[in-house]
Amino acid sequence: MPDAFSITYRPVWAIIWPTLVALFILFTGKRPNIRESGTLLGSLALCLTVLSMTPVVLKNGPIQFSVFDLFPGIDFAFRVDALGLIFATTSSCLWILVSIYSIGYMRTLKEHAQTRFYFSFAVALLGAIGIAFAANLVTMFIFYEILTISTYPLVAHEESPEAISAGHKYLAYLLTGGVFFLIATLVTYFLVGTTDFSYHGILGPALDTTSGVTLQVVFFFFLIGFAKAAWMPLHSWLPSAMVAPTPVSALLHAVAVVKAGVFGIIRIVCHIYGIDLMQALGLGVVLAGIAAVTIVIANFYAIGQNNLKRLLAYSTINQLSFIILGVALLSPMSVTGALLHIPFHGFMKITLFLCAGAITAITGIKTISDMNGIGRVLPITLGAFVIGAFGMCGAPPLAGFISKWHVALGAVESGQLFFLIIICAGSLLDVVYFFPVIRTAFFAKMPASETLETDLEPKVELYTEKIPVVEYEQPLYLFMVIPLAITAVFSIVYCLFPNTFGIYALAQMAVKNTFGGM
Amino acid sequence: MVQQLPAIIVVTPLVASFVIFATGWRYKKPTYPLVIGVLAACLFSAAAILASVIKNGAIDYWLGGWKPPWGIAYRIDHLNAIMLVLISLLSLLTAIHAKKSIERELPERTTLFWSLFILLITGLLGICITGDLFNLFVLLEVASLSGYALIAMGEKKALYASFRYLVIGTIGASFYLLGVGYLYMATGSLNMADLAQLLPELYHSKMVLVGFAFIFFGLSIKMALFPMHVWLPDAYAYAPSAVSAVVAPLMTKVMAYVMIRVMFTVFKPEFSTVLFQVTDIMVWVGTFAILFGAIMALSQDDFKRMLTYVIVAEIGYIIGGVGVANAIALKGAVFHIVNDALMVACLFLVAGQIMYRTNGHRIDDFKGMFKTMPITAAIFTVGALAVIGVPPTCGFFSKWYLLLGGIEAGQWGFVAALLVCTLINIALFFRVFDKGLFTHTHGTVPVHANPAGNPNAGEAPLSMLIPAFSLAIVIVLVGVFNQTIVNHVIRFTIPPGF
Repeated sequence: MPDAFSITYRPVWAIIWPTLVALFILFTGKRPNIRESGTLLGSLALCLTVLSMTPVVLKNGPIQFSVFDLFPGIDFAFRVDALGLIFATTSSCLWILVSIYSIGYMRTLKEHAQTRFYFSFAVALLGAIGIAFAANLVTMFIFYEILTISTYPLVAHEESPEAISAGHKYLAYLLTGGVFFLIATLVTYFLVGTTDFSYHGILGPALDTTSGVTLQVVFFFFLIGFAKAAWMPLHSWLPSAMVAPTPVSALLHAVAVVKAGVFGIIRIVCHIYGIDLMQALGLGVVLAGIAAVTIVIANFYAIGQNNLKRLLAYSTINQLSFIILGVALLSPMSVTGALLHIPFHGFMKITLFLCAGAITAITGIKTISDMNGIGRVLPITLGAFVIGAFGMCGAPPLAGFISKWHVALGAVESGQLFFLIIICAGSLLDVVYFFPVIRTAFFAKMPASETLETDLEPKVELYTEKIPVVEYEQPLYLFMVIPLAITAVFSIVYCLFPNTFGIYALAQMAVKNTFGGM
Repeated sequence: MVQQLPAIIVVTPLVASFVIFATGWRYKKPTYPLVIGVLAACLFSAAAILASVIKNGAIDYWLGGWKPPWGIAYRIDHLNAIMLVLISLLSLLTAIHAKKSIERELPERTTLFWSLFILLITGLLGICITGDLFNLFVLLEVASLSGYALIAMGEKKALYASFRYLVIGTIGASFYLLGVGYLYMATGSLNMADLAQLLPELYHSKMVLVGFAFIFFGLSIKMALFPMHVWLPDAYAYAPSAVSAVVAPLMTKVMAYVMIRVMFTVFKPEFSTVLFQVTDIMVWVGTFAILFGAIMALSQDDFKRMLTYVIVAEIGYIIGGVGVANAIALKGAVFHIVNDALMVACLFLVAGQIMYRTNGHRIDDFKGMFKTMPITAAIFTVGALAVIGVPPTCGFFSKWYLLLGGIEAGQWGFVAALLVCTLINIALFFRVFDKGLFTHTHGTVPVHANPAGNPNAGEAPLSMLIPAFSLAIVIVLVGVFNQTIVNHVIRFTIPPGF
């Protein structure tokens, strides 16, 4: 009788923890403190479980566990490999921080339906971890749908007409995408009789029986299926979903949802099609082209935004396509960079969102033009924001530098210099739209308090000299500031020590597996 | 005793029905326990028969010891066995569920209700177990007539709906009977196994052809295959909740079973795929049924009416799957008969619970369901996700086989219709989810006010929750263990030659 916690069962435990948390939340919904402690403990357990698998995977290779069979040749199975662990580590680490943050945020704003919020959040994490550890397309599809459905109540949380229509838009894009994902999976299964992820792709043999055009069409179906990656023109659900509370935005942008889309694309490119087939079919360039267009257009959209969260949304669209671009270049360096950008972007973007949320929760301000001098009122929050923003631009010593550097190297390595230009231009445009925010926050003149009194009556106090004292007297404020300070610190740590939590080693291993003996 | 189970499973409810009718007027109390006992016995027998079929293969049972083709023969293979389990399971759960709703909706007529209810189950079980085409007709009428009467007990409009159903249903049954008559004229036999041996030589005879066409058409009417579905929405929507919950999922599915039986047991598969090529028509009819059902469902305000159109679409799934005519799609079609019955029953039970609390079954009546009736809401979620086809609920798995079969046969129209229908189903059920989930108002109205202003608001009684919840669990379990079911039962329902 093997030990229930032995390494074989760890993938299952990683699925069980969020499930337990979700059930716990349902049954303790009436007592918020117990409910939230459950969330925290569960997220901690999940994080430890995931992290404990990293050394084993690095040493012995993937951990496989098959639960039951779904169809002939398809199991409901988990396979923890380096690629999946990168995503799972990101999600599980960030879940802890977002949980802490949610306590502060939701209670400060006295949000309704908090039990539903925490429950859906836990189920969404279940979906994310399942996607990370899925051993085949069907298992991945199952968790992909769980993730989509569980985030719907979160997106529509406000229950205002605007929020509900954002939720509908979210579903329309993602569930329609899910149908395309399903049909692509079916055709894959029909062509090669399996949907298991394999290091060098599985669709190669299909070229004997079917034309390349079929495979190209199937690839586009997969891409539409991963509309979660918010590539253009399938991006518009993401800015709309910004009406949700900030922890939800953090979930969408950093912890789970969009990362699941990008992760899916990486899986398809590397482990369903395989690098060779991608090159043979000429799909790499097409994908890179889509990503490049998205990067440029999203940046221009971002420049025009006055709502901070919408600006961040377009920034996410841009960064996601940057990851897609890294993979599409199909060179080892660029793929390494893309893989690293998953956790790095996660930590940096969550910093930005938590800052935006904290600003809104404390002062009620949502638009950039109202933020004159707010940096002097909330120095830690805006300090963290600056760190995140510079990280997005790829400035050292921040994590974004490492990943962007790798992708740029990859572009040079594979001789696709056009995309090098895109990468540089993209980073430059990042500066263009983040800089005004920073300037407004720190250097613009604070507004006279008379004008504020009319606009923001209850919050006016924050603009007086007493403000910092008021902040630190509120424990809820700490619940918000500590997580965002931690993620900001991690954004720096990841540049100095990219191998924190074994991320760099995992990325290298994943690339080595995919590209063979390199 | 064990050898007699095929007779017991039909005779017990038949006798019980008359006993209840005769004594129930005077002794009201024992009726309900008797019903539950009989249905439990049916479920037990059905399970035992299924186990025996899985273990030893098909069972032949001669009623009264009379040899076929003179006597009535029962032949139970994997296909009937699973249908028997399905019917007895759903009828038992519905019967438990129905106690409260019947007391509320038909306080004066409980005895009559139970008597007819059991008679209906007798008919359905009989249709599935018999190996004789004429005997099948008799039982079909038993089931239909009791069904008409049960539906007529419902709301105001039910009487009219039931009468329309009666007229159209009788036409359907007559067509079936005519067809059987033609086959009898050609072969002199009514026994299915006997016919299967006699018919192949006569496949080119016009008489056989006409006979098949009549049977096919008659069954299409009875199963509400588009465009012969017009009787269904009103009849099922206005029936008492307990009746909808058993008639709606079972009646049409049993007819689909008969269709498969006639096409692939009485006739050889080649007859309908190559000689008569009716399967090509079936794919297209199925495709249109799916699209039509889905679109009509979208335009309904009433939850039960919406479900009835979902049924029309689901019948399209099954018939289309049969029409695709390869082993994978047929597997999907048979599996979908089971799954669809389970999930539609589940949703009708939920409708019953909502009706019990709010006295209505409009989508508006679901307002605030997640707050006031959390368990009902959870059951609804499972049922709705199954209809949409979200794994791990069972609906996903049969849809997978149907889609895979469609891809293999190159029937892209059918595949596209299935996918479009999936999307429409999402829209359908998320409308209800929205109503149930989002009660927060931003105006002056107090938040989480009593949804319908109804004094009964609250969770449904336990006697309703337990069967509905069990059904939700069954839906998930059938999904999780789908491979076991497919490998041990459904694989064997594929006729040789596929």
